[in-house]
Amino acid sequence: MQRRTRLVLAPLAAGALLGLALTACTPGATTTGAGAAPDASTELTTDDITLTLMSTPESGAATEATIAAFETEHPNITIEYSQTNYEDYNQSVNLNLSSDQSPDIVLLNAVANTVKNKLVLPLDDYADLYGWNDFFPANQLNQWRVADNGTTLGDGGALYAAPAGFSLVGTYYNKAIAAELGIDAPTSLTEFEAALKTANAAGALPVQVGNAEGHAAFVVQLLGQGASGADTANAWAFGHAGATFDTEANHDAAQTLADWQTAGYLGDPTTVNGTDLQGAVDNFIGGKGLFLVDGIWDAGKIGEGLGDDAGFLPFPGENITGIGTSVAYAISTQSEHPNEAAAFLDFLRSPEASEQQFAQGFMPDDPTVAVAEEGTLQGDIVAAWAEIAEADGLVAFNNNATATMNDALKAGTQQLIAGQMSVGDFIASIQADWAAAHAG
Amino acid sequence: MTEPLTRTRGESGRVTGSSRRTRRGWSSLLYLVPAFVFYGTFTIAPWVQSVWLSFWEWDGIGAATWAGFENYIKVATDERLVVALRNGLGFIVFYTVFPVILGLLVAAVIAARPRRGSGFVRTVLFLPQILPLVAVGVVWRYLYAADGPINQVLRAVGLGDVARAWLGDFTWAYPAVGVIGTWVTTGLCMMLLLAGIQKIDPSLYEAARLDRCGPVRQFWHVTVPGVRAEIVVAVTVTLISALASFDIVYVTTGGGPGYQTIVPGVLIYKLVFTSNEVGLACALATVLSAIILVFVAVIGRIGRRGA
Repeated sequence: MQRRTRLVLAPLAAGALLGLALTACTPGATTTGAGAAPDASTELTTDDITLTLMSTPESGAATEATIAAFETEHPNITIEYSQTNYEDYNQSVNLNLSSDQSPDIVLLNAVANTVKNKLVLPLDDYADLYGWNDFFPANQLNQWRVADNGTTLGDGGALYAAPAGFSLVGTYYNKAIAAELGIDAPTSLTEFEAALKTANAAGALPVQVGNAEGHAAFVVQLLGQGASGADTANAWAFGHAGATFDTEANHDAAQTLADWQTAGYLGDPTTVNGTDLQGAVDNFIGGKGLFLVDGIWDAGKIGEGLGDDAGFLPFPGENITGIGTSVAYAISTQSEHPNEAAAFLDFLRSPEASEQQFAQGFMPDDPTVAVAEEGTLQGDIVAAWAEIAEADGLVAFNNNATATMNDALKAGTQQLIAGQMSVGDFIASIQADWAAAHAG
Repeated sequence: MTEPLTRTRGESGRVTGSSRRTRRGWSSLLYLVPAFVFYGTFTIAPWVQSVWLSFWEWDGIGAATWAGFENYIKVATDERLVVALRNGLGFIVFYTVFPVILGLLVAAVIAARPRRGSGFVRTVLFLPQILPLVAVGVVWRYLYAADGPINQVLRAVGLGDVARAWLGDFTWAYPAVGVIGTWVTTGLCMMLLLAGIQKIDPSLYEAARLDRCGPVRQFWHVTVPGVRAEIVVAVTVTLISALASFDIVYVTTGGGPGYQTIVPGVLIYKLVFTSNEVGLACALATVLSAIILVFVAVIGRIGRRGA
């Protein structure tokens, strides 16, 4: 018996030692400094070179066509495109950037810890050379400006990514149901709530919400920033010191969502929490719901499903605001050809690239190519985008305020809708998550 | 059962001389080397590494800082982590208790009166075991949906009031996910126990019948003691899958609604890939594996004491 024990223990101990030998050092590589990178310049090499670019199918939908146009203009530069689905992409992008075979250009979905670990290049020299700061409204670039601490975003930080196109969250509505109930497109929150009441009284579902993945957070954010204005909302979403979620506007917003729930405007709370976003879109297309708060990434599907009955509005509020972010690309610190990569980033705002983005349902960098027939869904979206830009009302996603905010908002709104959590506790839980990431 | 045999062999070995025995021992160890190298590289080393990482604060990319036992303190105090551990323990009811009881009953019925169709029943019950758990999760998410088949059936039979989006319900989401676990593991338990029952000497049943034992008493006094070893195996295997559950929860609810169905497996995954808290994730994983080891050791001991 004793002998057998020893036989088992010896290899175990040896294995443990082997494991320790492999790992007994501080985890994590010390970041390799970039090699002697050439100075930023708009003059490109005449040698034949190949750049690699990584993206996701949704965000990269227009990118392949853009690459082809770029290669025609620069015959000596080849760009190899590869894509991974959204979740896998986000989990592997930093590992790819820190590996020996880092791609030159990467899609950046969130700043996360990419900038903190110096995995991508600051682009301010290129922004100056190419004049990006004059081309883009400030709030379109601020989402990719990062302060020295690596987490605080917004004005004053260094620029780390260049936009290829924009998404926008607003309000879809079913024109057929609205006409039947004699409801005009609401332009204020009062009119909006009156419409909800009318629809509910007539037995139609006022708002279609799918909160299995936490998308009711869009409603809370839009209600909140509609009252507080875009600047206050952005300061929080960007992690600015002293910002807080615990504001009257956000209390009212969360309370309004809870009230809508109680009034029956969202339908059965369990169904809301048990339906995901695509399920909600399907329901909305099937005629269940006067309104649906969602991003323009679903415009194609909704336009196809509802045809002429589909309409889109900026979410009504005291201030005209929208939630939006850009599909944006960054350059790896390890890229051997940063100048050529930057030339591609600049090409993203060209009319050719912009047309491709618009065709894929994104709002293009160059707004002049966004032309759509008035009265159509795309026409409504273009008009809403212009209205929000005019009001300087674009706000970053609250979901991206911290790495864990999406989970916090998902759990919080689910509890709020099911009546499992008070408005005060909801606000506190969101602010606690924010404070843990942006302390100090 | 093999105890006495080994002992005899050991004693005879000692008589013939210890030097030959030792040599034979060493050469037989050589045969273990290839397997051990694999096991060491892909199981032990990563495990030791994750224990080591649990003492650091590390975002997965940059330089790490020594954290000592800070991560373990968080595991014991962070409400979300405690809820996850509690949910994982609760799944033992659905992954282990129900399947072993159900599996035992079904196996006893099939074994007592083999008839046409019992092979079919066996296959159907075992089927979930060979499906990828992600596919199982996707199918059940559809079954449980607000307009899914389960609710359609409920409405058809006049139980429309009970119909709900099961996975979105704060009360029902947890048992709903648990039932999927029961569905998956019952087949495995049934197969294991059926094999055990078929090993029981038929004369024991005959003797029981002569003593005027009905089917129920035969089950309690012959079948259950006869499959004790198999029950220990079934409990061990399913207990591990309960505590280490990930796929089904991740695919069906992602831990929601709220944190109603969060389990350690999902939380570990989120800590690593969403919030980049690799050290904390490793601490939770270490605690989880320690709990599993304790459970397995206890079950093994109970099983041996009875044998």
